[in-house]
Amino acid sequence: MNDPPRRLRILRTAIVLTLVFNVIALLVLVRVTPVIFTVFMFLAQPLFGAALILLFGAVLAELRARQIL
Amino acid sequence: MTPLLPLAGTLLVSGAAAAGESGVPLPQGWIGTTSQWIQAFGVAFVVLNVILLCLTWRRLRSDGPSSMWGWLLVAVGLVPIMVGFMTFAHGLESTTTVSACGSCHVMTPFVRDLQDVKSDTLAATHFKNRFIRESQCYTCHSDYGLGGTLKAKLAGLGHVWRYTTGLYDLPIKIAQPYPNFRCLGCHGESQRFLNSVTMKPILPELMSGQTPCLTCHGPAHPAQKKEARL
Repeated sequence: MNDPPRRLRILRTAIVLTLVFNVIALLVLVRVTPVIFTVFMFLAQPLFGAALILLFGAVLAELRARQIL
Repeated sequence: MTPLLPLAGTLLVSGAAAAGESGVPLPQGWIGTTSQWIQAFGVAFVVLNVILLCLTWRRLRSDGPSSMWGWLLVAVGLVPIMVGFMTFAHGLESTTTVSACGSCHVMTPFVRDLQDVKSDTLAATHFKNRFIRESQCYTCHSDYGLGGTLKAKLAGLGHVWRYTTGLYDLPIKIAQPYPNFRCLGCHGESQRFLNSVTMKPILPELMSGQTPCLTCHGPAHPAQKKEARL
């Protein structure tokens, strides 16, 4: 994760995953059905969790690169 | 944030209009239900998050990640957590409504009977007289307390799985015999019920579940025909 282009790619992946999370969340908010809510619980939330892990991984790599950690 | 306010307002107004559809006047100064506010704020946060994500994506391309950490933490960390919280709260509440139960076509005969004012089944009687004000399916088919909610949600997950994969048999049957304590949660402490001449002699049997309430008060729902899968 120290390689800047790789870090950029990771951050973009995190943004895309968060966007997918938002689209599914919008579906739940606008027209909720048990199926859509299940998709939100078991697909959208893990995707967002993955986005958070990617973000914090990139933050840690940046801190290490700046020798703060 | 300003363009989002009319959207939130529109959602709230449409929700309030739905509440007043039956002709029952709304209280003065009606500002919608908590669920409608959560829904409106949830939509506003989604819109805000999408805008933030798009801006972050564009600036990430031109400026690189070094100057973008604050933006990233807000757009990928903070705002989506708010979206998730509101969506979860709204989804949890909204999946208990009759329309949510009726969204699976196998439930259509039950919901149709429930909403039929001419029907005399136990469910329809409770619905048309508003003995239960809202979430009528969920109220009768879930146990009380936190454990009841968790159990009902897990059962609901099973229903979604079987419905989606087609692993169910028609006609639909209740998984377990209907327990008396679900009826007694409301009726059990009613003076009219406790002092009823017909109920008093069999109260211990009803309380212990030895005699099911539905023995005398059934059927709760109409008998189903063997229908073809749609």
